Amino acid sequence: MTTESVAHRAPPNPPSTARWRPSERLVFGLLGFVVVLSVWEAVSVLGLVKKVVLSSPTLILNAAIKDISNGVIWPHLQASGTEYVLGFLAALVVGVPVGLAIGLFRRLNYLLDPWLSAIYATPTVALAPLIIIILGIGLEAKVFIVFLEAIFVIVVSTMAGVHAADAHFHDIAESFRASRWMRFRSVVLPASVPYILTGARLGTGRALVGVVIAEFLASNGGIGFYILLNGSILQTARVYFGIVLLGILGVALGEFVRVIERRFDRWRPAIR
Amino acid sequence: MTTGGMALRARGVQFTYIDPTTHDRLVAIEHIDLEIPEGQFVSIVGPSGCGKSTFLKIVNGLLPDYQGEIEVLQRRSEGSAHAMVFQDAALFPWFSILANVAYGLRCRGIPSKVANERAMPFIRMVGLEGFEAKYPYQLSGGMQQRANLARALTVDPEILLMDEPFAALDAQTRELMQAELLRIWAEARKTVLFITHQIDEAIYLSDRVLVMSARPGRLLADIPIDLPRPRELRIKRTPGFTALADQIWELITPQIRPDVPAAD
Amino acid sequence: MSIASRYPRRRTGEPGRRGWLDRRGRLGYGLVGAVGFLLVWELGSRAGAINEFFFSRPTAIVAAGMVEVQVPRFWDDVRRSLTEFLVGYGLAIAVGVPVGLLTGWFRRLQYSLDPWLNFLNSIPRFALLPVIVIATGLGMWSVIVVAFLGAVLAIIIPTIQGVRTVDRRFLDVASSFGASRPRLFATVVAPATVPFMVSGLRLGIGRALIGVVTGELFAATGGLGHMIKRASDTLQTDKLLFGVLIFTFAGIILVEAVRRLEARVQRWRPVRQGAAA
Repeated sequence: MTTESVAHRAPPNPPSTARWRPSERLVFGLLGFVVVLSVWEAVSVLGLVKKVVLSSPTLILNAAIKDISNGVIWPHLQASGTEYVLGFLAALVVGVPVGLAIGLFRRLNYLLDPWLSAIYATPTVALAPLIIIILGIGLEAKVFIVFLEAIFVIVVSTMAGVHAADAHFHDIAESFRASRWMRFRSVVLPASVPYILTGARLGTGRALVGVVIAEFLASNGGIGFYILLNGSILQTARVYFGIVLLGILGVALGEFVRVIERRFDRWRPAIR
Repeated sequence: MTTGGMALRARGVQFTYIDPTTHDRLVAIEHIDLEIPEGQFVSIVGPSGCGKSTFLKIVNGLLPDYQGEIEVLQRRSEGSAHAMVFQDAALFPWFSILANVAYGLRCRGIPSKVANERAMPFIRMVGLEGFEAKYPYQLSGGMQQRANLARALTVDPEILLMDEPFAALDAQTRELMQAELLRIWAEARKTVLFITHQIDEAIYLSDRVLVMSARPGRLLADIPIDLPRPRELRIKRTPGFTALADQIWELITPQIRPDVPAAD
Repeated sequence: MSIASRYPRRRTGEPGRRGWLDRRGRLGYGLVGAVGFLLVWELGSRAGAINEFFFSRPTAIVAAGMVEVQVPRFWDDVRRSLTEFLVGYGLAIAVGVPVGLLTGWFRRLQYSLDPWLNFLNSIPRFALLPVIVIATGLGMWSVIVVAFLGAVLAIIIPTIQGVRTVDRRFLDVASSFGASRPRLFATVVAPATVPFMVSGLRLGIGRALIGVVTGELFAATGGLGHMIKRASDTLQTDKLLFGVLIFTFAGIILVEAVRRLEARVQRWRPVRQGAAA
């Protein structure tokens, strides 16, 4: 408290105030991380909750070290990665143009409106068993499930982006007699890029859901399969390890899109 | 020969807005006849909502469903008949200043390299050299309006349409920009149709000030401004200038009153 | 020599040609889109262009539905799914709202929980199913837990955001009148947060519904999700799609209901924006 007020009142020596001080956010974030892990460990060691349900941080760490060092986890990561990348990229490649088209052409939008509303309200998970029936239990079905989970947020967000451009900018383009294509390039596309990227970021999460659903339904490899298998033989620590891996993937992919978002935001004044 | 040496000729221009949902009709412009000789600087002043911006949009081709006739001189196949300088925030925020200024040329299918080269002299003319790689948010309001002006000049229009371009600027910047505009106008030799609600701005800049009535818009008066050029800002404090301002103010005041209770 | 350029009458905005469909706008096109797709599906299936075994056809789905509603087990499934949804969603509200408000109000608590919330939010929560099943056994509770986990974060996160973005000025006004911290919370923070909470509730509905389906697909002995699973195991695609359709309608109705609620709690908001300066 006192040191802080002194620091505020003493600007003559700028280099000393520029000294690195951990932010409150970081300190408490670490604290929260450690406290939760400790409580978890304690509850497990004291036997307050059965180990087979709760496992414990050290057990999970042991399982992780074991399955990483003996290479068990790699084929699973590779299988999930393949499904993920193919499904998500397909969702992007199809979803963005479809979203742009629906946003640009009013009549197409009206035509598809009831179907979009219906898909919006349907938990697409429910369609996964049908996809397995149609496409079999191979890679195609899993990629398609990932695709289906991810595409909708991308389409909807892209559509919203097309309408996000201020009418004012359309006027300016019109006053310079911009062609339809020029108007698309100079007004619609730049205004919708942030929305497309938001859709993509949400899509990374949905795609991960798709991977696990597909692997829960029918597979003999992948992180979802690893989780399911170890659950069935009561290897709870490995179940949690699989979930930690999903979490790392999820956070990393989300951050990756965030980095791209920032790159496309150069023309905006920096906030914060 | 139809424009008869005029940069702009409008005959019986009339415009009615129709509310798309209620189908209510609102006559924005009742009847406008207007001729602007080449090279003249003409301002239109009038109370808010009198339809002056509507008229400008009609000339600019943004409102195609008008009645009457509008003709704009076009001598060359290249170059535009007209270009618009919009109010504030009219630069594309996602393009650099250079890309913004070159925009009109790009719209005519000119490749970006050539368009950029041709935009540079105009960036220099408005005094923005060194800022061409910046994004609009990195520039002050006054500088943004310079870029806005350069963008319109780049397409080499016969007539420059300006829609309250300095309305969003603070008082001092606005004065400076008025003087700058006159300097650029003298250099670029363009016909200008300038919309404003600031009487002193109109007088200071123009060869002629047209006064418009409250809605439905008509032209009430056509006042020649015989003040000598080049004009300096201090001309605004001369008796001749204030007399003109009083004269126009007298014309506008009765037009404002009836609108006051309706405005809010 | 001067050439006058006259403006071509260009179409801007609304199209000039307006046929029957355009005059009916959204509704007309929507109807054509819906009916057209169903017709193509039905006729394509009857003509053999669409594999009926895989994709079924609209009339077959309706027929399957008619048969299904006469089976007592179907109504057991409906009751069960509904119960799971209501309990899971209700628990998510009961936990999510207070946790969100408290976490938003105490800055350090928020900092402490941030990494965990972030982590949980980026994983598919139903991946915990194997552990949940170990803990609760196969049955209603495993599904309820999945629905709860799906919805609770969707409620917590917007609520935290709502508390954190309360307008400083209102807090200043309240403290200048000497409002105590509990009063500040009750009179300023809570009302200002309501719109955020409600949008969390809306997101939560969808998540809870997805949770019910997922839970029942993988870890249940009954419920509509389980019915879909049974239909898929016996390759009855018409029955399967009937099950999906029920969830679609449930989703539409629930989302609409919350939208109404949303409009209601926001009545005090002026429609006009950005007036105050």
